[in-house]
Amino acid sequence: MKTTEKILLNYDPEKENLLPVLKEISSFFGFISEKNAQKIADYFSLSLSQIFETASFYDFLKVKNSPQIFIKICSGTVCATIGTRKIIKEIENKLKIKIGDDFNPRIKLETASCLGHCGEGPIVIVNGQVYKKVTVSSIHEILEKYV
Amino acid sequence: MKKNIKIITKHWGKINPLRIEEYLKEGGYKALEKFIFQMRPEEAIQEIEASNLCGRGGAGFPTGKKLKMVAERKEKEKYFICNLDESEPGTYKDRMIVKNNPQLLLEGLIISALTVGASKAFIYLNGNYEEEKYILEKALAQAEKEKFLGEKILSSGYNLELKLFFGAGAYICGEETALINSIEGKRGEPRMRPPYPTEKGLWEKPTAVNNAETIANIPWIILEGGKKFATIGAECSPGTKLYILSGAINNPGVFEAPTGITVRQLIKEIGGGIPKGKKFWFAQIGGASGVLAIGKDLDAELTFSKNCLIPLGSGSVLVIDKSVEIYDLLFSWSDFFRRESCGKCLPCREGTFRLNEIIQRFEDGKISQRDKKALGQILWSLENTAFCPFGKFVAKPFQDALERLDIFKNV
Ligand SMILES: Cc1cc2nc3c(=O)[nH]c(=O)nc-3n(C[C@H](O)[C@H](O)[C@H](O)COP(=O)(O)O)c2cc1C
Ligand code: SF4
Repeated sequence: MKTTEKILLNYDPEKENLLPVLKEISSFFGFISEKNAQKIADYFSLSLSQIFETASFYDFLKVKNSPQIFIKICSGTVCATIGTRKIIKEIENKLKIKIGDDFNPRIKLETASCLGHCGEGPIVIVNGQVYKKVTVSSIHEILEKYV
Repeated sequence: MKKNIKIITKHWGKINPLRIEEYLKEGGYKALEKFIFQMRPEEAIQEIEASNLCGRGGAGFPTGKKLKMVAERKEKEKYFICNLDESEPGTYKDRMIVKNNPQLLLEGLIISALTVGASKAFIYLNGNYEEEKYILEKALAQAEKEKFLGEKILSSGYNLELKLFFGAGAYICGEETALINSIEGKRGEPRMRPPYPTEKGLWEKPTAVNNAETIANIPWIILEGGKKFATIGAECSPGTKLYILSGAINNPGVFEAPTGITVRQLIKEIGGGIPKGKKFWFAQIGGASGVLAIGKDLDAELTFSKNCLIPLGSGSVLVIDKSVEIYDLLFSWSDFFRRESCGKCLPCREGTFRLNEIIQRFEDGKISQRDKKALGQILWSLENTAFCPFGKFVAKPFQDALERLDIFKNV
């Protein structure tokens, strides 16, 4: 089994390895827990606050467990010009949430930058699953699978 | 104008990017050999200065001058960083260099790093570029095996360690000082300048940061000479450039053409024109922060010069036709900027957030007088008080939309 310690030992405790270590731990465990952050801090001889200072900055690093339903919608120029705003409104109304808000601990809706599926937009991603050519009606069927 | 000269794309599609042998067969690494056995570092820098090559990462700083500044520093420890963070929406030219000819990039990088006397070099790669990471890892291992990298390069006295550094999803890390912070394991926020990275960069040591496309020009300049390079394209910023054509255009993609080309030539001659039934409205040049070129600008030459009407920026050309809803575009830009503002300074952190809020209130061009006034104030603050160029980047497309497209004329 891979453990935090084993991951750490693959790297020298030099500062240029901090970001790579945080990335590996975040993607392996889903997020960086305080316990793991402390282990990383000890290994690099940094303070716990320095670890969170860095970890809270980057998109690829998570310091909280993801919500049960995590919806991302592309707002890149191509998707945006073929329906993103309408689909956002539809999701907000259906799930009674607001984009970008943290009020509902179970469901979160965020916009994302272009993910390189430009020809097949609008793109919606729910819990990592990519849905292409989403419309204001097909979004209902997609969401039914999760709620 | 020599239209067909190919410096970067010459071997694209003709060689297998995963096999260094194929690059070698096409004369690859001849420039490195020439540099090592026939030139002193100062001579190489003179050649690059004579070429007038300027940075392809957007700002257009003279590359020879930058390399010279770092080379002349007395410190023993120096660094060279290849900026491959490339996360400007609609820009994927550096990625295409890696996908098609990674060894050309490595050769340019090795020469550049050795001219400044760097003992360690980095490639800062966009964290989303998984496939490119795989290609670069392979390319690096092969170059090392051929002794183009590592200790005693080609049995000479030169050594160079090259490390691949993978980003973690932050657009601002393309800015060179934020990039340096990121390698140091810190938040990727821009640093105060001066001191410039050429004086105090990575680990407070002199550091040259160059864009991947800039670097890919170096082998050609070493082999063919700076003078020859200076005759290609526009006089103020010579050479070729990779242009990324997208939007309402028949042949989208990445193309190499000289600098000084006009938007009209790019769209017509290279992009095959606008699809039937669509009508040109404007083109955005140089990414999400780019100028909006309208009909009367189409014949202006694209260069990196500050005096130029339409700066080249990253080289991307997004063609927008009249069927596009401008509010969708404004939303896309403001949403991108809000997400990517690093949060270090207030005008940008707050400004991008409010901008996005106001724009989400637009429906069919309706805007309240209050929002309109706030919009003007936010754009002014961004333009004039933001800590790093990102703030100005944000303001640009909105100012252009207001002034050139006159989107609120009915309000
Ligand atoms: C917000 C921002 C984002 C940037 N993103 C990139 C980028 O993705 N790639 C790049 O090469 N330069 C980028 N730059 C420019 C770099 O700061 C730097 O000028 C460049 O890497 C220098 O290389 P060059 O002289 O070869 O152009 C960015 C600058 C700013 C302000
Ligand atoms: S202008 Fe924006 S990106 Fe630049 S330092 Fe300020 S908050 Fe960060």
